[in-house]
Amino acid sequence: MTVKVAFMQLSSCWGCHQSLLNAHLGLLQVLPALDIVYWPAVVDFKHDSLVAREDEEIVVGFIEGMIRTKEDLANTKLIRKKSKIIIAFGSCACYGNVPGLANQWPIDEVQMRKFMEVESATTKRIPDQHVPGFEDKVVNVDDVIKVDAFLAGCPPRTEQIVGVVQFLLGQKGFPMNEKSFCEDCVLKESGCLLDNGVLCYGPVTSIGCSLKCTNKGDPCVGCMGPAKNASDKAQKLLDMTKSLDYISSGNKKNLFEFLSLFLNVPLMAGFDLSGDIMMQIKKRGKPDTPLATIPSITTEIATNLLGFLAMHPEFHEISNVCQTCPRIIGKGTMTKVKRDYEGIPNQEDCFIEQGYICVGPITKAGCGGLCIKVNAPCTGCYGQTEWVIDQATRFYKTIKESFNVELSKEEFFIQVKDPIGTFNKFTLASNRDFNLGE
Amino acid sequence: MVKEIIVEPITRLEGHGGLRIVIGDDGKVKDAQFNVTSTRFFEKFCEGRYCEHVPRITTRICGICPIPHHLTPTKAVEDAWNVQIPTPALKLRKLLINAKQYSSHLLHFYALAAPDFLVGPFADPALRNIVYVINKMPDVGAMALKMMDFGQKLCAEIGGKSVHPISAIVGGMKKPMDEDVRQKFLKQIPEQVEFTKKTVEIGLKVVEDYWDVIANVGVVPTYYLGMTNNGVHDIYEGDIRIVDLEGKKIDYDVHNYLDALGEHVPAHSYATHMYYKPAGYPDGIYRANCLARINCVDKMATPLADEALKAMRAKIGTDLIHHTFAYHWARLIETVEAIEIVGSLLGDSDICNPDCKTLDIEPREAEGIAITEAPRGLLLYHIWSDADGICKKLNLLVATNHNIAGIEKSLMHVAKQIFEDNALEGLKLPDPWIK
Repeated sequence: MTVKVAFMQLSSCWGCHQSLLNAHLGLLQVLPALDIVYWPAVVDFKHDSLVAREDEEIVVGFIEGMIRTKEDLANTKLIRKKSKIIIAFGSCACYGNVPGLANQWPIDEVQMRKFMEVESATTKRIPDQHVPGFEDKVVNVDDVIKVDAFLAGCPPRTEQIVGVVQFLLGQKGFPMNEKSFCEDCVLKESGCLLDNGVLCYGPVTSIGCSLKCTNKGDPCVGCMGPAKNASDKAQKLLDMTKSLDYISSGNKKNLFEFLSLFLNVPLMAGFDLSGDIMMQIKKRGKPDTPLATIPSITTEIATNLLGFLAMHPEFHEISNVCQTCPRIIGKGTMTKVKRDYEGIPNQEDCFIEQGYICVGPITKAGCGGLCIKVNAPCTGCYGQTEWVIDQATRFYKTIKESFNVELSKEEFFIQVKDPIGTFNKFTLASNRDFNLGE
Repeated sequence: MVKEIIVEPITRLEGHGGLRIVIGDDGKVKDAQFNVTSTRFFEKFCEGRYCEHVPRITTRICGICPIPHHLTPTKAVEDAWNVQIPTPALKLRKLLINAKQYSSHLLHFYALAAPDFLVGPFADPALRNIVYVINKMPDVGAMALKMMDFGQKLCAEIGGKSVHPISAIVGGMKKPMDEDVRQKFLKQIPEQVEFTKKTVEIGLKVVEDYWDVIANVGVVPTYYLGMTNNGVHDIYEGDIRIVDLEGKKIDYDVHNYLDALGEHVPAHSYATHMYYKPAGYPDGIYRANCLARINCVDKMATPLADEALKAMRAKIGTDLIHHTFAYHWARLIETVEAIEIVGSLLGDSDICNPDCKTLDIEPREAEGIAITEAPRGLLLYHIWSDADGICKKLNLLVATNHNIAGIEKSLMHVAKQIFEDNALEGLKLPDPWIK
C-alpha cells in the first residue's frame, strides 16, 4: 500500500531535497512505499495537476522553503488545502531561515540593491512581467496556515527525514506484535511502576524484548514500538498522561525517550509535532498509514504526550545543542569575544570558554553537533529553544549562568558587532514582534 | 490567434521558474521566456554581517552546490584582507570542491537528465523520473546511488555537512582530515573509477542513440564563459576566460570582471541575464556550465579526462561546440576529471597536516573579488569590508545568471525548430531503454 505525498517548494535552495536524496541506498526502501504526486525537484507533475486534485487527497504535504513571493503564499495555501497533514520541512519553512534577515529593510530598498544598484547591472528595472511580486517581508509559513509538524534543520539530517517518512508510513521496522510488554513483565504481579507514579510505557509497547528495563527496575520506554493490543494497564497510563503538569524530571526524561523510540523519529528534538497530529491521522478520513491501525488508547496517550510537549517549550530545553556536544566545560574563561577568524580553537574545550560565540546553549538539538565536530561553533540552524524577542540578551544570560564568562553585559554587547546576524540568523522572520529599525 | 505555451513549473530543476513560448497567428515564434519566479536577496541581507560569516550564510543560495558558495566568499574575504592560506588548506579545499563536482554531476546525469533519455522524452510524466529508473534498472540505479553517496560522504567528512558545509574559514580550514578517514576514502577510489568508466560507457551509448538530436536540435552559437588556470581546466583557482563566436579566447583577471561581464535586468525574470559587455546585449549572450568550460580550456587537468575531451572534439569535429545536448557529454568528462583529482588528493598525506590555518589575519577596509566554478557555472563574489571586517556590500554573479540568457536563446532556437520547421517529425529517436 502506498501513501500519497507531495512536496511543495517555496523560495528555497533545494538543500532539504538533497538531504533526503542523500539517503541514497536507503531510498530504495522508502521510495516504493510513496506515491509522489507532486515534487518539482524530482518528478514531472505540473502545477495544474496539483490544483486539480481533491481537497485533502494527499496524506502528507511537505512544505520546503519560505514565503518570499506572492506565488509562495498562494502555493502554501494550496498545499494545505490538498493535504491532510502538513509538515514544515526544514528551517526555511519552520522559521524563514537566513533570507528572513532581509526583514531588516523595507522591500523597496531590498529590491533596489538587487535590480538597480549592483555594480554589474547595465539595464536596470524591477521585473514585473510574468513574475509574481514579493511579499513585504519574509512571512512565516506557520503564520498563514496550520502546520501539523515541524522538521527543523538547515538542512534536516538525512536520518531525521527518513525517520519522519518511516513514521508517517507507519512504524516501519517495528514488529507490531499482538500482545504488549506487560504480559512478560516481571513486575506484572506486584510492584507495577505505574502504580507508583512512574510513567512506564509497557501497556502500549510490543512484547518481545529482553525485558532489560523493568528487570533493572526502570520503566519501559517503548523501543519495540506499538503493540497491536494495549494491556489493561493502558487506562492507568492514559489517566496519568492527562495530568502531566507536575511531572518529575525522571518522568520527563522517560517521556522524551518514549516519543523518540516509540514514534520511530530519530532525534525527536528536531521534529516538533503539534499535539493533535495522532488524532488527526485517525480522524481525517481513512489515511493509508498503519499508524491508524494502532489501538485508539495508544493514539490517545501519544496525543496527550505530544500535546504536553507542544504546550511546554521549556521542556525542549532538556535538549539543546550543548547536551549533544562532547566538548569540556569548565577549563577556560571567556574574557573577550573572539571572531571566528581569530586563532584556532582547540577541539576539546567549549567554544564559549575559549572566547568564541557558539549559540549551542540556546539552539534546539537534533543536528548531532555536526558543525562542532569540524571545529566550527553552532550558529543556530535548528532554531531556538525558547521564543523571546531578544535572543541576544537571553544568550548572554544563559552563558553567564552556565559557563565561565568574565565579561559584563555592556562589554559583551560592545564586542558583538552583529547581534541580529549572530543570534537571529535563521529565525528573524518567525519573530513576529521584530520591527524594522530596531 | 496568438498562442501561448506555458510550462509551469519547470521540473527536475534546482530553482523556481516556468517557460513561456508565444506563437503568433502567422505560426511564427514571437517570444520565448524563461521566467525565474523567485529570488531571496542575499546581496542585501549579507550587509552588516561579519565578513567571515558570509560564507556560512551564502551556502544557502544553493543546496546542490553549497560548497562553491562556501569557498568563493571565503576566498573573496581573503582577497580583501590579503590573507595567504597554508598549502594543506588549499589541498583540502580542492578536494572538497572536486568531491562536490563529482556528486553534483552524477546527480544531474542520473536524477535530473537520464530519465529523459532512458525512459524517453515522450514517456508518461509519472514515470519519467529517477525513482522509476531505479526500479527498472536496479543495477545502474544502485551504482549511481553508490557514486553520489561517495561524493556526498566525502563532502560531509571535509565540510562537516555535505549540504551547507562549515569547515572553511578565512585563513584556511578549521580542521585537517584525520588519517584513518583519508585511508577509508582512498580505499574506495578504484571502485569509484570503475563506476565512472561504466557511467561514461552509458553516456556514450546515449550519445550514439541520440546522435540525431545532439547534432541537429539546439545547436546554438553563443559566447562562452569559464574559468581556466592558465588555459587548463580548474574549478578552484584561475581567471575569467571568454570564448567568442569565432572561438577566440579572451582572458580577464578576476579583478577586472566589470570590463567583461554585464548584467541585463529583464522585465520577465528575477534572475538577471549576464552577457559579454564588449559585445553588448543581446549579441554578447554567453553560456556557462560544463560545456562552456570545456570550450574555454586548452586541456583538461588530468590524463583520462583530457583523453575524453580529445575524443569528444574529434567526434563532433570542432573545438568550439555549440550543441546544447552535448552538455551531458561535457558533464561526464568533468566527472572523470573530478574523480581523478579526488583520487590523487586523497593519496596526499598533506591533507592531514594540522598546519591548515594561518594566524596572520587582520581585517581591513578593502574590496575583495574571487571566483570558482560551481557545477552549473562560474561563481563570482565581490565583497566590501569595512575596517572592522563587517560586510558593507556584496555583489554576486551566480551560475543561474550566467545561464538564463543562454537558455532563453536556446529555447527560442528550439521553439522555432519545433513549431516553425516541424523538426521533430523527421528526427530519429531510439527505442527507450526502459519500456
